[in-house]
Amino acid sequence: MIELRKVSKQFGDGVPIVALADVDLHVDAGEFVVVLGPSGSGKTTLLNMIGALDGPTGGSIVVDSVDISKAGRKDLFDFRRTSVSFIFQSFNIFPGLTASENVQFGADVAGRDEIDPVSVLESVGLGERVDQFPHELSGGEQQRVAIARALATGNPVMLADEPTGELDFETGVQILELLQKQAAEGRAVLVVTHNREISRVADRVVELSSGRIVSDGPPADGKARLEDLRW
Amino acid sequence: MARPVSKICAGDIMKDWFLLLRWSWRDLRKYWVKVIAIALVIGIGTGAYAGLTSTANWRRDSNVASVELLNMFDVRFELAGESSVDKGELATAALGIAHADSLDGVQERLVRPTQVDASSGADTLLVPGSMIGVDIADGGPAINGWHVETGSALAPSDAGEPVVLLDYGFIFHNDLPPSGSVTVSGGEDVAYAGGALTPEYFMVVPENTSTFAQGTYAGVFTSLETAQRLTGMEGAVNDLIVTVADDGDRDVVAAEIESAIGDLGVGVEVMMKEEDPSYRILFEDVENDQEMFSIFAFLIFAGAVMGAFNLITRLSEAQRREIGISMALGISPRKIALRPLLVGAQIAFLGVVFGVLVGVLLGQLMRSVLVSFLPLPVWITHFQWSLFAWVAVIGFVIPFFAAAYPVWRAVRVKPIEAIRTGHLASRGGGLAPLLKRIPLPGDTFAQLPFRNLLRAPRRAVLTTLGIAAVIAVLVGFLGSIDSFVGAIDRGGNAIKGDSPNRLVVTLEGVLPTDDPGVVAIGDATSVGETIPILQIGAKASGVEDVDLLIEILDLDNDLWHPAISGDKMQGDGLILAEAAAEDLGVVVGQSVSVTHPVRTGPTTFGFVESDIVVAGLHDNPLRFAAYMDVSALESVNAVGLANVMYANPAPGFTPGDVQRELFELDAVSSAQKASAAADELDDLMAQFVGILQGVAFFVLLLAVLMAFNSASISFEERQREHATMFAYGVRVRKALRMAVVENTIIGIAATAIGFGGGLWMVWWVVNVTAKETMPNIGLTVELSPATLVTLVVLGILAVAIAPLFTVRRMRRMDLPGTLRVME
Ligand SMILES: Nc1ncnc2c1ncn2[C@@H]1O[C@H](COP(=O)(O)OP(=O)(O)OP(=O)(O)O)[C@@H](O)[C@H]1O
Ligand SMILES: [Mg+2]
Repeated sequence: MIELRKVSKQFGDGVPIVALADVDLHVDAGEFVVVLGPSGSGKTTLLNMIGALDGPTGGSIVVDSVDISKAGRKDLFDFRRTSVSFIFQSFNIFPGLTASENVQFGADVAGRDEIDPVSVLESVGLGERVDQFPHELSGGEQQRVAIARALATGNPVMLADEPTGELDFETGVQILELLQKQAAEGRAVLVVTHNREISRVADRVVELSSGRIVSDGPPADGKARLEDLRW
Repeated sequence: MARPVSKICAGDIMKDWFLLLRWSWRDLRKYWVKVIAIALVIGIGTGAYAGLTSTANWRRDSNVASVELLNMFDVRFELAGESSVDKGELATAALGIAHADSLDGVQERLVRPTQVDASSGADTLLVPGSMIGVDIADGGPAINGWHVETGSALAPSDAGEPVVLLDYGFIFHNDLPPSGSVTVSGGEDVAYAGGALTPEYFMVVPENTSTFAQGTYAGVFTSLETAQRLTGMEGAVNDLIVTVADDGDRDVVAAEIESAIGDLGVGVEVMMKEEDPSYRILFEDVENDQEMFSIFAFLIFAGAVMGAFNLITRLSEAQRREIGISMALGISPRKIALRPLLVGAQIAFLGVVFGVLVGVLLGQLMRSVLVSFLPLPVWITHFQWSLFAWVAVIGFVIPFFAAAYPVWRAVRVKPIEAIRTGHLASRGGGLAPLLKRIPLPGDTFAQLPFRNLLRAPRRAVLTTLGIAAVIAVLVGFLGSIDSFVGAIDRGGNAIKGDSPNRLVVTLEGVLPTDDPGVVAIGDATSVGETIPILQIGAKASGVEDVDLLIEILDLDNDLWHPAISGDKMQGDGLILAEAAAEDLGVVVGQSVSVTHPVRTGPTTFGFVESDIVVAGLHDNPLRFAAYMDVSALESVNAVGLANVMYANPAPGFTPGDVQRELFELDAVSSAQKASAAADELDDLMAQFVGILQGVAFFVLLLAVLMAFNSASISFEERQREHATMFAYGVRVRKALRMAVVENTIIGIAATAIGFGGGLWMVWWVVNVTAKETMPNIGLTVELSPATLVTLVVLGILAVAIAPLFTVRRMRRMDLPGTLRVME
């Protein structure tokens, strides 16, 4: 589903900042992968590459059978519309739309008329707050709306950048549960975090340091259950 | 417990401010396009106000100086009718009064109506006019002097020679050479040495013609001897003008001279300087134009202020979050305000510069038009310092106030609120909850534009009103022109009827229609059909009194008759202009009291008052135009008499041919195409279209700038939303479409409001201003298709497409960067 070959990314012209160096990564549909690493290690950059928000300076990226390192502008828009869906650390839901409308947006953009936003919101536990505007929702609720919006697209790759970063433990666990469920339903789910605890529930943990993958495999102590998480 | 003491040394403070200044510098670099655009909005608003208002001061100053330079009379004494006295008698009478020492100067004149043939080649230019003869021993008159604008002055040796000066306005409006020759009544060729300006001809307003007759009425100025010879009144004078010393009492002097002249056994009419039509209109015109300009200028100004205020407010509102953070860090409001205020200062500074530039530019445009269309001997067009100073102050204060306002609002709330709400722009709130209950058709893309507007209703309303004010100006401006042009056209069409070449031949008095002189007119080779008319001046009394020029004619004639509008004629009676009926407060079928002349002797008339039924209304907007059927001649005891003829050229002849042939006839005083006045006005309007377009261009620019700024700021406020959409694969095209829809809504609302406001302005100009200044023209509110198209193109299209200017920035948006920003 996701195939990265020798992907590198540099910022700046003078003395380049190397954000990613020779990254090789393969993720299958149905996998729940956590990308772990200290701040500045290139996690967000990696996610942005996969989601075609930004292009690599070297290497090739194929996601959902689209070679996004070679695709043109128009194809990238199409790709983002139909292949990936983003969940941002800072939510980025539309303040002018209600919860259900934000979700409806996700369905609209991917052209999925059959989606019922209310039932998607119910699936993230927000069945009661469908008509609320974002500023009337708590941070965790807003993040759940963001997830519901990503779900409504029905796209096969789900990319989440620090989805629990601004949330408390309890809520964070609920969000992780939701994401896990998506992987179980056959999506490729990539979650970026610097929180080692979260990585314990992943199928696979990819560790980044200074733009390089330093380890890739199942969690060190084996896959934990959500109930066992502590942070 | 020891309280923490903040240790701040001078160096820290300096460093602090230094950082703030550097930060502000970054703001300015980031905003420079908008800063310039907003400054232009302010500049155009203030500049238009200053530029347009300057003209009134210029004209007032120039009028006063011109009248003074040429030493205009204080009182004029015209001998009644055809009477005259020997040269010297009037001056002697005046100098013999008790208060003769109050007189500064006296000047005897001979003033007689004439006709002037200034035709060249195939172009016939044959107009009525007036010949003024004065003593030119000193080179020209001491009172009502001649300012030679083109050609050369008369020399004392020209006395008695066939040499004259023509009114410069007549030369200018007819593109005549600076000197040449013309033929005057009596058929004599005279040379004109040049064109002169004189106070009585600054504005040419002969009775019962349009206000602007500069090109169709000729002033002929010459020596007394020449005038006497050309008019066959050897040794005679019939007019006296005097100037009164500053400490003299004009009314006393006027009364004494009036009775002294009366003692000579002749009737006399007294006219004060202020009653002189040229003088009166010269000054009235300034006030009227000023009034109209003020409204337009004020609206442009108001629109710009509203627009600028809105834009600057939004610009600094975008910093609200940063303000909140600064507050949380304990930075004083003073320092917090610095950054937005510096942006405000930059806009203020540029706004003043642009304002002065636009003002000067517009002023120069107006000046060149004024100077050429309204030739005066002195044009004083000083830079209006105090006016511009005021405008600069306002232009400077608005941006500061607008920039400080959001800061003031932000520092009054708890820091946490300022931080949490982010930009006000990205809050839900507003009237958006309303929409929750109103299901809109379409997907979320279709709904977002509406949501966005309702989220910040105050801002949407301000933006809309700003653009609406500008559109109102444009509609008011163009609509007023349309209404004038419409009235001129209607007048022209009404006058032309089925006989577009019809001539109005004025006879040398009231003559029997079988008089050989009158018969000769019909017999002239170039003349086809004719009908006799009796034209009488009358006054109708009603809600308002209305002066009428009643033409009594055979309404069944084939040559020309007034077109009756609306209801059919109801029997015999008076046919009035709609404006006249309205002002009198009568409708068809009612009767109105009219004071009109009745013949009392062979050539004498007296006045009587009769009630006459209003039988119908005609479609000529000229209020004084009134008609009655020939049967009414009995009631004025004038059966078989006429003082005017309508004449059509015979087949194969032009109106010019008729004019030339009739010029030779004794019974004819003048012959003009009936549509001459309307044609002249038409030409004049066409020439004015140039400046009107100039002003319209500024207004247009203003609206486009405001729309562009608004779209640009909206784009910035929603950058994160756009980035999120793009991350979800929404195409730039679609995002633009949403922005365009949003602006279209604003455009439609602004256009609707602006249209209403503009219509009201036109209504005001037509029914209040014009009614006062041009009571004789019945204007109706008219909007031409061109105006409506301009309105739609500007108001809706230009506003709607403004977001397209942001396409480049949308395409180049740094998606990861924008999305990463934390709220
Ligand atoms: N637009 C940019 N311009 C220059 N350098 C950048 C840019 N974006 C990221 N970087 C650099 O690239 C490196 C990786 O950044 P990235 O945002 O991927 O880190 P991260 O692993 O997500 O960190 P964090 O956990 O703090 O979010 C950092 O050193 C950062 O400074
Ligand atoms: Mg990151």
